[in-house]
Amino acid sequence: MSRKPVKGEYIETDTGNKVSRKAILIGTQHIMLGGKTVIQAEAMIRGDLARTGQAVSGSAAAPGSNTAVAIGRYCYLSKGCCLRPPGRIYKGTFTFLPLRLGDHVFIGEGTVVQAATIGSHVYIGQNVVVGEFSIIKDYVRVLEGAVIPPNMVIPSFSIVAGQPARVIGEVPEGGHEAFELRELYKTVGNNPQPLPV
Amino acid sequence: MNGSKMSSSKRQSILPRVQSGPKAPVNFSSSIIIADSALLTGNHTINISSETVIHPRAKLDSSNGRITIGRRCIVNERTSIGALSADPTPSESRDGVVISDYANIEVGAVIESGGTLIGEGSLVGVGCRVGKGARLGKPWEIVPDFTVIYSNGTRRIDKRGVSDLKNKAQARQIEVLKRLIPSNPAKFQ
Repeated sequence: MSRKPVKGEYIETDTGNKVSRKAILIGTQHIMLGGKTVIQAEAMIRGDLARTGQAVSGSAAAPGSNTAVAIGRYCYLSKGCCLRPPGRIYKGTFTFLPLRLGDHVFIGEGTVVQAATIGSHVYIGQNVVVGEFSIIKDYVRVLEGAVIPPNMVIPSFSIVAGQPARVIGEVPEGGHEAFELRELYKTVGNNPQPLPV
Repeated sequence: MNGSKMSSSKRQSILPRVQSGPKAPVNFSSSIIIADSALLTGNHTINISSETVIHPRAKLDSSNGRITIGRRCIVNERTSIGALSADPTPSESRDGVVISDYANIEVGAVIESGGTLIGEGSLVGVGCRVGKGARLGKPWEIVPDFTVIYSNGTRRIDKRGVSDLKNKAQARQIEVLKRLIPSNPAKFQ
């Protein structure tokens, strides 16, 4: 007779985020989710590594101004991936800088992302290492096992692979729809729908 | 209505706390930073020297030998130090893993136990696996100083001579991490 709803595998928020109960989110106050984002089990986000230094200003900073990890809409973080903000020496002190993801970003299983910025419609395969302060522009496909060295800038519409990663090709014309993650978003959650064939 | 059920707003897990192994005997310096969710197991001693940072979810397993970590090391999340090697031959060393000063073990790296030595200032990259009995960097010279090893035995030597600067940068990073990571060494003692 319990009226308590059965707890599903995912926590679904009002903005449509689906966060697995087994995801490891550290420092949640510094993590911004744009909505409709899927975070699968054992994905790890290091929000605790937020920017330090400007804390001395004292005055009440706007909430969310000290974001460590910002994620756009329709992003998909697979099992066991790890997002952590990059850090470096800046003006004589060590500081972590925010990690920004655009919309429709897919991150494969076991991938470690320490980029500065990832654009929109980016596909990153399994077991990829995205080095510190690398910048990935829009419509980029990173094949599995690639190791993107620190500070690399990947232009739009490239296909990247290798250790260290190199641009090996271009996204073909008309291949842009493949980056849409709206359908994939519907396939997970507490009442998943199958992919339309 | 069912007030007794709603009294605690925070949901408590029904499952018992996961205890993956015996609590390891530890020997900590007073200035280390160790996250609450780090995992320390095993029956040999784990020594951690001053100003070393252990990130959340790092796993230190001393069941296959002693673990010694030097000064100002950074052990990142999801690393596994002292993992059991696939090679069953017993090692001649009593030490499991020795990590020297200023080493940085990056996310997801695995360091197998059995006389494994990581030299001063080494950087073990993301997802690396360091096999049992490997000896890297100073002062063992099996792999010489400032060597970058990447894949299939290829390597190059860092001739920039910036190791002092790198150590300074690591010290700065530790200062910042000290503020960011809530330390709880008492939990493991």
